[in-house]
Amino acid sequence: MATGTQGWHADPALLSSYLAGGLDAVTGASVEQHVSRCETCRAAVGRLIEPVLLERTWAGIRAAVERPVLPYPLRLARRWGLPEPTVVLLASAASLRSAWLVGAFLSLSFATLAAYASGGTALAPFLLAAPLVPVLGVAAAYGPRQDPLEALIATAPYGRTRLILLRTIAVLVSVLPGTALLGLALPGPLWLAAAWLGPALALVPVLLALAGFVGPRTAATIVSLAWSGVVLASARGLAPTWPVEAAQQAVYLVLAVAACAVIAARTGSDRRLGVAL
Amino acid sequence: MSVSTHTVELTGVGKRYGRARALTDVDLAFGRGVTGLLGPNGAGKTTLLRIVATSIAADSGEVRLLGRDPHSSFADVTAVRRELGYLPQELGYPSDMTAFGFVEYVAVLKEWNDREARSQEVRRVLELVGLADQAPVRISRLSGGQRRRVGLAQALLGDPRLVVLDEPTTGLDPAQRADLRRTLSALGHRSAVLLSTHQTEDVAALCERVVVLAGGTVRFDGAVTDLVATAQGRVWLADETGDDALVSCRTGSGRHHVVGGTPPTGEDIAEPSLEDAYLLMLGPEARRVHAPG
Repeated sequence: MATGTQGWHADPALLSSYLAGGLDAVTGASVEQHVSRCETCRAAVGRLIEPVLLERTWAGIRAAVERPVLPYPLRLARRWGLPEPTVVLLASAASLRSAWLVGAFLSLSFATLAAYASGGTALAPFLLAAPLVPVLGVAAAYGPRQDPLEALIATAPYGRTRLILLRTIAVLVSVLPGTALLGLALPGPLWLAAAWLGPALALVPVLLALAGFVGPRTAATIVSLAWSGVVLASARGLAPTWPVEAAQQAVYLVLAVAACAVIAARTGSDRRLGVAL
Repeated sequence: MSVSTHTVELTGVGKRYGRARALTDVDLAFGRGVTGLLGPNGAGKTTLLRIVATSIAADSGEVRLLGRDPHSSFADVTAVRRELGYLPQELGYPSDMTAFGFVEYVAVLKEWNDREARSQEVRRVLELVGLADQAPVRISRLSGGQRRRVGLAQALLGDPRLVVLDEPTTGLDPAQRADLRRTLSALGHRSAVLLSTHQTEDVAALCERVVVLAGGTVRFDGAVTDLVATAQGRVWLADETGDDALVSCRTGSGRHHVVGGTPPTGEDIAEPSLEDAYLLMLGPEARRVHAPG
């Protein structure tokens, strides 16, 4: 097939203008055809290209291949200006993956639907799920038992406490707005839509404080059981809104303050070496 | 004078876990070069390495790392950690991360914030441990030895001045061990490397200096050749097993390699190995560690 150009080679001037994009469409296309079949001319093209440019292109390709693909929520956050190193740190947190977030919103949606269908008499499913989603999200960010890189993270200059707080904030930012929107769909007074925020924001520091003693998994179990107990107990005879009424909210606030105090005290005493959270 | 020449200086360091004493009154100072830490299980090797790696604090005594006291302030311990490479004994690997992703994650924790520089550094350390081709492979698909080398790669990020490696050679085959030795001895020209191992041959091949730890105390601290010399005249090739020998085993030639005790019948003095000297140094404890048969 390639008989026409066998033995013929493009001269350096022609190749240079091909590389510079200075040939007309037809000549350019035929040089391209020729180069793709002729080893000698391919080598000549290789010598004409600036090594720096080639190196940079190759590095870009390598980086794209080697670099792990980021979960969708993080790519979105990156586009909105989240610094790149932060994105790398968050990419390892399981509860910031799309699958986890979709699961969380599905269960919350069902809870909302149940409350809606009952006309406001059965708020328990929503009040149970809404504060636990951020709690479980923060706990799951650690990994199965604790972070498998525990020993490394504790001795890295970035710092373990900072990493845990970063993940916690990321989990809250990714689940709270959606939960608030679902809350608006609840039947009943408007304040109900935001009322779950009290226990949610109190249970997260309680989880972090407990996790410092017993590990995130046990801490998540304790917090989940305690909150389920409160909601289920109130479902027997008390008003459906009882778990989030003003007096109870005050208790949550006290709990949150106490948990933050525990974390702060441990940070103070252990700050130099080892671990606070 | 000597204060500034040592990268690590421990004076009278002690550590206990509850009622159990892990380390008692340990004095240790070292600078550039590779220092090997030998000792039976439970000797306190990992505890000592964790103290040097700022992972835990000593209960008593004085610790100075890179001329700073890591207990004194947050700024000091962070400054030490910026120049530290640490391979813990047990390192969990998030199984869905790739080799590149894992080392990159640690690089961010070590404040490599510029993306380009970080990628280059990650590639450099993966190449050093011979895993350049495995960079995009998930860690769950790597072999045990390869995983260990991924762990080692992160400890080499940024050419740290202090490198602490807890049993870096476990799970490596002989060829990989030889590669690792080459990497580490090159590293020892620039940095202070402290590594623990069960393999006396690693120490013999790699370390200028050896520290024998047993029962939480330092039993020997000096040049490898000096440790070998302590066994001179206490190792024999004999026709019979020594009755009160510390360790005795039949060699390929049919004679017995006898370490310690009274000279057995028909004995020829044999050149002691580092292993013989190490076992003699441990004394009766060696029987437990190295029970023959």
